[in-house]
Amino acid sequence: MFKRFFGNIWSAAIAVALAALVCGVVLALAIGAAALLGYPPIRLADLWLRGAAGSWYALSSSCADACPLLLTGLAAGVAFRAGVLNIGAQGQFLLGALTAVALTTRMMIFHQPALVIPTALLGGAVAGGLWGLVAQYLERYRSVPVVLSTILLNFVALYLAQAALQGPLQALGTAAAQSPEIAGKYWLPLFVPYTDFHIGIILALVLAVLLWVVQQRSIFGFEARVVGLNPGTARAMKMPVTARQFQIMFISGACAGLGGAIQLLGQVHFMTAHMGNYGYAGIAVALLGRLNPLGIIISSLFFGFLDTGAYRVEESSLALPHNMANVIKALIILVMLVLAGLSLRKSRRADRRVTAPAQESAP
Amino acid sequence: MTASHNMITFLSRQALTAATPMILAGVGELVGELSGVINIGIEGTMLMGCIAAYTVTGVSNHGTVGLLAAIAAGMVMAMIFAAACVWGRADQIVAGTAMDLLGVGLSGMVWMMYQNWRENLGFSTALPHGSGFSRVPIPLLHQIAFLGPVFFDQYALCYITLCLCVVVWWVLRHTRLGLIIGALGDAPEACHAAGVRVRMGRSLCLLFAGACSGAAGAYLSIMQTHAFATNMTGGQGFVVLALVIFGRWKLPGIIGGCLFFGLINSLQQTLQTARYTSQNTALHALTHVPFQFFQMLPYLAAIVALAIMSRKAPGPRYINVPWPEVKT
Repeated sequence: MFKRFFGNIWSAAIAVALAALVCGVVLALAIGAAALLGYPPIRLADLWLRGAAGSWYALSSSCADACPLLLTGLAAGVAFRAGVLNIGAQGQFLLGALTAVALTTRMMIFHQPALVIPTALLGGAVAGGLWGLVAQYLERYRSVPVVLSTILLNFVALYLAQAALQGPLQALGTAAAQSPEIAGKYWLPLFVPYTDFHIGIILALVLAVLLWVVQQRSIFGFEARVVGLNPGTARAMKMPVTARQFQIMFISGACAGLGGAIQLLGQVHFMTAHMGNYGYAGIAVALLGRLNPLGIIISSLFFGFLDTGAYRVEESSLALPHNMANVIKALIILVMLVLAGLSLRKSRRADRRVTAPAQESAP
Repeated sequence: MTASHNMITFLSRQALTAATPMILAGVGELVGELSGVINIGIEGTMLMGCIAAYTVTGVSNHGTVGLLAAIAAGMVMAMIFAAACVWGRADQIVAGTAMDLLGVGLSGMVWMMYQNWRENLGFSTALPHGSGFSRVPIPLLHQIAFLGPVFFDQYALCYITLCLCVVVWWVLRHTRLGLIIGALGDAPEACHAAGVRVRMGRSLCLLFAGACSGAAGAYLSIMQTHAFATNMTGGQGFVVLALVIFGRWKLPGIIGGCLFFGLINSLQQTLQTARYTSQNTALHALTHVPFQFFQMLPYLAAIVALAIMSRKAPGPRYINVPWPEVKT
């Protein structure tokens, strides 16, 4: 027990150190490339760091940006672990936000934030989960692969949201697809005043830890992992495979939907159909965090810091496009993948958990 | 010629126009997947094709140069992907997501820098007049009823795509090369035993796929629209991915899927305007339906079609299994 626990910690520490090294090298290379293009490197790095973590406010906006990424990352991570290739976090995220804004604007007449906020968050989560179940239903009973239906359902959700935002949920006096701004008392409360630290961040962190405990220490989590590794084995062990897949899909969709609701009530406060590509980015977050909820916390924070810093650099006089952050993320993922593939062949058993479900049901 | 006849001709023509980039990218993706490599990142590659074609056309004043640049950009993306997945043994799904991010990031970045640069020089960022492509009606043939407007009044790349489809179909079906490509994904051991270099073969297939996706991107930016916008592919890359599964890894099936998707898309676009102008009461009643529901139609139709067909095909056996396999 002792040895196993510390053995795990040791290998995790090596993995984290390696990841940090790769991130550092890629960041240094990126800044070097920017220097070649004529941007002052020291000033760039300085602006980036300050923009991401130079003050309480900067730190809070990085964390607030990481929050939806954490939730969509969990959505992808939970599902992939169980062999359910849910690419639909984007649509589930949007529908979560849509449900939250609908519930909030309709329930404002009660003047009860303590009632409205939890209902909106819960509603968002349930909407995301149900949207996920549609895909799982199609897979189970109509043999439509989840990868495929979730991609298509993302677009359906997008147009549904736009129709609602230009129809019943549209703000008065605008032609754009946009909801009215939610009144201040229905925003998620801040736990540090005058920052972006809203309680949604804490909620997301608690959820991540909870999911980790369930995944590692419960029968449900064990069964979900076996289902992901090999459905045939799971069936032979008399596990309820179909039920587990549906439950995992619901949890996954609910995470993404909750992410949308939290982003709406905590950060943006009014809805458009362009709430960012958090759903798709969540897949990268989950994979960088190696599908482990705790790893996903770290990778989402990293993505949040990179993005927020990059936006501040874009707003500054340097005007370096913020998309630089996306390029850096992509390069980091690629380099880490290659390193994992080349050098860690001996410890591939741990990787198997990551790759096996993909091999199992990839189209 | 009746009005409805005209309408059907017009719809079919628009369907082929809209389906061309998807067919092109789909042919490439099919070859890649048959060789055992699935590339989730075609969206990113197409975006790189869009931006490369647009900027190079803008600078060089020649659409053809832009098209070649797009193909080159697609091939560079494919090389990065092949380096990671074929030679570096990376997981293809993960690396594909990274390639998508890379394409979105890099194209957005280049676009912003290009705008700044052109504006500093005092140039417009619009394409120089006449440098983009327009439709090329084929002499005589385009006058044939129905077939003429549909097949012989398209963009140049559409003709090339159709020829490419025939060639690829023939190669896959009737030649030794096609046999090898299929075997790379179904029985790499056998390829190896027969003296075929598996990793090289897969890399070449990916290069072909990258060139196709890049050209598809160029089609979107310098043929169909003459404009660039960030994320202008709007998910078409993902739809292509879906259509390859939809077509069960068979070229005619994929082309059929693309045309079906393009047809529903042009149908909904026409319906959106027709419901206001038409005298037909049934059509006119549709004015109360939000236009987003029309935009949703192609995706819904694809889901419904899949649900009705309701049969899974297994696909190439060694997708996402790096070569040589490590025995654990």
